[in-house]
Amino acid sequence: MTPPPAREGVSDATPGVTAWPHHPTTTTTDGLGFLGWQRLLLAPRFLASRNRFRGYSRAERMRLAGFAILALAFAGAVFAFFHRALSYFLSVPDFGPVLTYKLLGMIFVTFFAILLFSNVVTSLSTFFLASELERIVAAPVPTRNLFYARFTETLIDSSWMMLLFAAPAFLAYGVVHHTGPGFYLMTAATLPPFLLIPAAIGVMLTAILVNVFPARRTKDILLILAVFSVALLYMLFRMVRPERLVNPEGFADFTAFLNAMQTPESMFLPSTWATEILFPMLGLREGRPFFYYLVLVSTAAVAVIACESVVTRVFAQGWTKAQEGRQTRKVLQPVWERILAILTLPFHSATRVLVEKEIKTFFRDTSQWSQLILLGALIVVYVYNFSVLPLGGSPLVTFYFKNVIAFVNLALAAFVTASVAVRFAYPSISLEGKAFWAIKTAPVSAAQLWWAKFWTAFAPLVVLGEILVLATNSFLGVMPFMNWLAPATLLAMAFPIVGMALAVGITYPNFEAENAAKVASSAGGLVYMVLCMSFIAVVVMLEAWPVYVIFSGQFSDTPLDTTTWLGVACALAAVVILTATVFASSVRHGIRKLDELEI
Amino acid sequence: MIELVDLCKRYGNTLAVNRLNLRVADGEIFGFLGPNGAGKTTTIRMMMGLLQPTSGQVLLGGTNLATDPLTAKALCGFVPDRPHVYEKLTGAEYLDFAARLYSLPKDVRSERRDRFLEVFDLGDWGDELIEGYSHGMKQRLVMASALIHQPSLLIVDEPTVGMDPRGARLLKKIFRDTAARGATVFMSTHSLEIAEELCDRIGIILRGSLIALGTIEELRDHIGRSRAGLPDGSSLESIFLHLTGGEEDPSSEALFA
Repeated sequence: MTPPPAREGVSDATPGVTAWPHHPTTTTTDGLGFLGWQRLLLAPRFLASRNRFRGYSRAERMRLAGFAILALAFAGAVFAFFHRALSYFLSVPDFGPVLTYKLLGMIFVTFFAILLFSNVVTSLSTFFLASELERIVAAPVPTRNLFYARFTETLIDSSWMMLLFAAPAFLAYGVVHHTGPGFYLMTAATLPPFLLIPAAIGVMLTAILVNVFPARRTKDILLILAVFSVALLYMLFRMVRPERLVNPEGFADFTAFLNAMQTPESMFLPSTWATEILFPMLGLREGRPFFYYLVLVSTAAVAVIACESVVTRVFAQGWTKAQEGRQTRKVLQPVWERILAILTLPFHSATRVLVEKEIKTFFRDTSQWSQLILLGALIVVYVYNFSVLPLGGSPLVTFYFKNVIAFVNLALAAFVTASVAVRFAYPSISLEGKAFWAIKTAPVSAAQLWWAKFWTAFAPLVVLGEILVLATNSFLGVMPFMNWLAPATLLAMAFPIVGMALAVGITYPNFEAENAAKVASSAGGLVYMVLCMSFIAVVVMLEAWPVYVIFSGQFSDTPLDTTTWLGVACALAAVVILTATVFASSVRHGIRKLDELEI
Repeated sequence: MIELVDLCKRYGNTLAVNRLNLRVADGEIFGFLGPNGAGKTTTIRMMMGLLQPTSGQVLLGGTNLATDPLTAKALCGFVPDRPHVYEKLTGAEYLDFAARLYSLPKDVRSERRDRFLEVFDLGDWGDELIEGYSHGMKQRLVMASALIHQPSLLIVDEPTVGMDPRGARLLKKIFRDTAARGATVFMSTHSLEIAEELCDRIGIILRGSLIALGTIEELRDHIGRSRAGLPDGSSLESIFLHLTGGEEDPSSEALFA
């Protein structure tokens, strides 16, 4: 290529500079080679991680260490679960190997489904929505090299968590069945091609989807589908009542269920091939592991090449479509306005405008409202658990258990309410994000804003808590005293639970966070949960004695004397005082912090 | 309308704003200039209550922002340097929200909302979610939201960044009309052309301190008296570069080596 001629006058105007030195770009980039390109394109990701780690303060490093310990604990729990289940299967004559095989198949099928979904969602970001892509796409980067770099990122992002779960599960298989190192080596060799297949299919699917639908809308739809599927799976798993495994009467039903799941049935599924590779190595039956390994590896290779072929062809068009950001969305104004007008009727006008804004933005943010589906599943399963409690037996035991459980349930319901508050109420101020200036510069007091945030979070959370307590108490058929004490205590506790969520959330704001989940999982979120748990524990301890004496009195049909009633009243008064004090401090602290907040 | 008294802001060891004293009269268009990192945005954010001063006072319309923030804020309309808005609201909803924050009655806010959407060329987009707006559209929306309650003081941080020529022209007209109605406009800008064209007085801030204050003529005279070198009728750009030490032509030779 001939360099362009120097512009006239350049050398005259700027002595020493003749023309822009021409670098033959194609020669330079080709010189990088495939691996050089991968190193170059993946470098920012690793450099950023390294720099982030280097920039961590001591506290942040401690937090990271805390997360690492948590991850290890999680892996340990997974190992313990599988070790116990597999040891139990081993002890079951006839059915044992079947169950072991079915479980292995289920692991791979579940992994495959989750990985496929995860890769679709992740590749939407890595290939089409990531902000840094603009710079790379504008540079003379060959599409094939860009594809492999982004494919690697997608693969890592989608699969690392699955590996964290898989490693201890497979370790448990090896330990329980006393396999040699061959099993572990084969597992290590099986996982890479197994991970590559859903990654290739997922990326390919995304590339096609983005060419058909707008990228951001696709992301929303996928998110809703994911949340819905998780909720459904969660409910389904619970309704199957896996606890019946320990009950010989229910065992047959459970096995029938496992069979009905039709897990490793299809010989065309990579999960079946992976199962067929590893299962014979446990020594429970013969098989053709190497044949299936070849099938798995060759399929992975074909899938990746097919993916490359499809993506490199449709990427440019998909990228262009994804950049067409002006996907406007009209909203159903009259319906919204009417519903909101009714919902915000009790509020003062200044609070009302803020509450309306809160509700509107919540229900238009897919990552927020979709969590309600999960919450619904949580309530259903929570209540269902109480409906299937084995409470048969002598009247004394039944009466005793029902009331003890009802009391424990009060603490549990408060804990669930706090857990939901950390996800919805705690990030409330942080979610104002960079748009918060509009409220901060307006003649709206910190108190008005605080109360608007409070009522918006309090109303749904108290309904949730009361549903949990009332529904479960009704299933339990508890004594009348518990029937009013539990909902009343929960109502009282909801004030500080929400108040503390806001106060701690305001103390540790994160206006840069991309979503509420990220805010909730911060150190501040942990501080809030610790504070909340301590508060709930103290309330429960204060109420334990009154509940016990009233319960004993009712059971033995002995009326309580005045001194005991006085003690009960004192304990309950202490609960009221504690609740009021914690709530008042939360309000004061929250409003003061909100007032001082700098953005 | 604006009085800044010994205003200071310190970030750790860095003094971002150093004993800033300034008075801006009613109906004045005031240009607040300075190089990047001089302390313009910090000053503006303190004036709007977004940052707490380390020391000193901000008085808006005679009201102390620290002791009576709501009264002081009710006087102001603010346009930040970047148009961050609630992306999940529609343009019309956002304007309605802004109007309600300033307690405008329903009939007034509905009428103004529709009128402002039209004036700012957002009429066709009023019912669309803001997430679909371009940068310029968001800027126009923020400007509309700052004016919807007809403030006595308009504080604007870098108003023309990212605006098309039509938008910039509209903005200049709005500033002039706002001042003509007796309101004050306090504007930080890098566009010396706009400052020269619009501002009654200019303040130049450098490393947190106000180093020059007056009309363009006053600044020119001041420099002429203190240091020879600036010819008569020098542009604001020459004055600015002279005062902020940026007179030397930046060299780009290293780029072409």
